[in-house]
Amino acid sequence: MLHLRSVTKRYGSLVALDDVSLDIARGEFFGLLGPNGAGKSTLMSLVAGLRAPDSGTLTLDGAPLTAANAASRTSLGLVPQHIALYPELTAPENLRIFGALYGLRGGDLRARIDAALEAVQLADRRRDAVKTFSGGMQRRLNLVAALLHRPKLLLCDEPTVGVDPQSRLAIFEYLEALNRDGLTIIYSTHYMEEATRLCSRIGIIDHGRLHALGTLDELLAQLPFEEEIRFPATPATAALAADLPVHGELATADAIHRFRPRPDFKLSAFFGAAESHALPGRLFTSQRPTLEALFLHLTGRTLRE
Amino acid sequence: MRSILVLLRKDFTNFLRNKAAVSLTFLIPFVMIWLFGIIFGVNKKDSGPNGIPLAVVNASDNPAAQKLVDALKTEKSFRVITEFVSPDKSRRPLTEADLRPLMQAPDAPFRFALVIPPDLVRTKDFGLHLKIFSNPRNEIETQTVNGILQKTIFTNVPQLLGESLQASAKDYLGSPAFKQFNGTIAGAVADAFGGDKEKIQQRIEAGDFGLGRVIGPAKPADPSLRRLDNNPTPAPAGSAQSTSASAAPAPAASNAAADTLARIVRLETVQVVGANVKSPAATSIVGGWAIQFLLFALSASATSLFRERDAGLFQRLLASPVTRAQILWSKFLYGVCLGIIQLMVLFFAGRVLFGIEIERHVGLLLIVCTFAASACTSFGMLLAAIAPNAEAAQGLATFLIMMMSSLGGAWFPITLMPVFIQQFSKLTLVYWSMEGFSSVLWAGQSFLQILPILGILAGITAVVMSIAIWRFNRGRIFE
Ligand SMILES: Nc1ncnc2c1ncn2[C@@H]1O[C@H](COP(=O)(O)OP(=O)(O)OP(=O)(O)O)[C@@H](O)[C@H]1O
Ligand SMILES: [Mg+2]
Repeated sequence: MLHLRSVTKRYGSLVALDDVSLDIARGEFFGLLGPNGAGKSTLMSLVAGLRAPDSGTLTLDGAPLTAANAASRTSLGLVPQHIALYPELTAPENLRIFGALYGLRGGDLRARIDAALEAVQLADRRRDAVKTFSGGMQRRLNLVAALLHRPKLLLCDEPTVGVDPQSRLAIFEYLEALNRDGLTIIYSTHYMEEATRLCSRIGIIDHGRLHALGTLDELLAQLPFEEEIRFPATPATAALAADLPVHGELATADAIHRFRPRPDFKLSAFFGAAESHALPGRLFTSQRPTLEALFLHLTGRTLRE
Repeated sequence: MRSILVLLRKDFTNFLRNKAAVSLTFLIPFVMIWLFGIIFGVNKKDSGPNGIPLAVVNASDNPAAQKLVDALKTEKSFRVITEFVSPDKSRRPLTEADLRPLMQAPDAPFRFALVIPPDLVRTKDFGLHLKIFSNPRNEIETQTVNGILQKTIFTNVPQLLGESLQASAKDYLGSPAFKQFNGTIAGAVADAFGGDKEKIQQRIEAGDFGLGRVIGPAKPADPSLRRLDNNPTPAPAGSAQSTSASAAPAPAASNAAADTLARIVRLETVQVVGANVKSPAATSIVGGWAIQFLLFALSASATSLFRERDAGLFQRLLASPVTRAQILWSKFLYGVCLGIIQLMVLFFAGRVLFGIEIERHVGLLLIVCTFAASACTSFGMLLAAIAPNAEAAQGLATFLIMMMSSLGGAWFPITLMPVFIQQFSKLTLVYWSMEGFSSVLWAGQSFLQILPILGILAGITAVVMSIAIWRFNRGRIFE
């Protein structure tokens, strides 16, 4: 659906995006994971047609994405990183403006506004100015404001910043429902948990470079598996324990197996083996390898750095 | 176009929600207009007028008339014009017939004229006959010019009054009886106070009653003219001010004398333009304050571009099928609409407060308001285009608006300013907007007559908007 080919974007001498190539398929929930200043928003703005790349091409359904291509913009929805709403106006007034700019009007627009406010639990605050909303409520409105015209591709730039866990969960569920209904989503975040929970595929970006790209498992598979895994020494686990010594060190004490894998043994392989012996995941405790660890491994720095 | 209307509506809704903006646009200028209407003419902060062009036509062969002209020439408040310069650069003395066409011209070389008619000293009744022609831009100007004229006349021509007294007495008594009357008076004076009877009689016949020494400089009773007395600048040489020091009359006495003089000297004033306008001064008060606050309101609205940018709203707007140009034009259109509404509302308030007659000129007033609002809007857009952020834009706006308003004549008539500063007035859109208002409301000019002013306002708009758009396209406002 969306194709980026060797896209480079500079601000003066600063290279915000460096030779990024990326393909997003229809129906994907794609996560863009990277720390502050990685280039996530820049990538979003290029896709949204707000900026032009210095080199490379972007196409949506075969049509080039440029600032002049107004037609492609109606199939895009952008949730800006900032809360981009008119604070003096009410939620319906805000939505009316954004809907009208996409050519919606009349009863259709009203119906969509009502549905959108219901969907993010703001219907009972429809008479209040947006500036009186809590941060989480503003975030939710910021999100639905990009959806009134029913885009095919939704660009969510860190849509949950400053949102309490409950609101966050509401947003997640809403996005997951939209995705199930066929909406393609690009979701940028610097939270591991969000990318892990939501995204079918993840790109890890830092300093404008796409360091890794794949499903969660594919990404974790790239991480050398150096941690120690513990599991109880029971008859059920005996078969697994028997397989492990070829892949690393296995020590057993106090009815606990402690396994230290060799660097080339992947986490996914371990869990694959556990599954083949019908062992549930809760038996195993470890410092589970995370995207955090992967990021550290790939870039040599932590995400919050 | 629909997008522009959506954005326009958005700006208006935002405006109406913002109480501070609404009161800045409507309430505060209304209060200012109202206040200035009340204190008008009293609260002048200027340092005294300078070089107001004054045409003088002297049709009298009385030597005292020439003395009056010379006195006016030394008066620093006036720049006396006595010659008519025809297009081929030849010169001849001005005549009364020259005055009207010259004063009614759009670029009138002078707005006030004094005519000394052949019958300066009247014989039928006691007093002097002078004619003042005026095409004033406002009441302060009229009062000021009249005041200074009166001062100059009263302090310089007591002799003329004596002459007038003599002439009317002669007319009444007949020449021989009159001579005898003068002789009797002179004898009585010589007997009572001493002195030579012959000399006294000569002086009486020449009209010299020593009036100048008794009265001293005129202290006009009109409170609006009192300022002139406080004027620290030294009186021109040859005025009666120097003699007043020796006489040192009590203020009350001199006021009474001035009152008497005011009754004796008949100043016939002819207002060349706008003679039947009810509240002429109100036009410039309303126009001036309205424009000034419109500028404030519009620069505030233009700097809201920064707020919209910082909030990421432009990203949202530009991600939808809206172009940068549409955003800018919607802002422009918004400014113009707001400006028209504000100006018309305030002129209507001027109608209620001061009886400005807007009904007869609604169409033309609307046109002038449109052009003035466009110029003001482009100014706001330029600020937003050149300033790096909202704070800088607001600071710059405040400075520039105060300067343009004072220079352009929104606070007090520009004729009260030094001539060299007056040259800068014409560089301000405030000046041209106010010219437009007074042309329509005051002078009752036609569309064709105000075309040059509209052209200038449109020119200002075009130039300023071009610079603004060029800067917008190069700047970061949309990034
Ligand atoms: N308008 C701009 N002008 C100059 N430099 C910019 C601009 N926008 C972004 N940058 C720079 O480009 C780099 C990438 O910025 P970008 O906003 O894309 O990062 P991000 O991944 O969205 O970060 P964050 O998580 O903080 O939102 C940063 O170094 C940033 O300073
Ligand atoms: Mg960002």
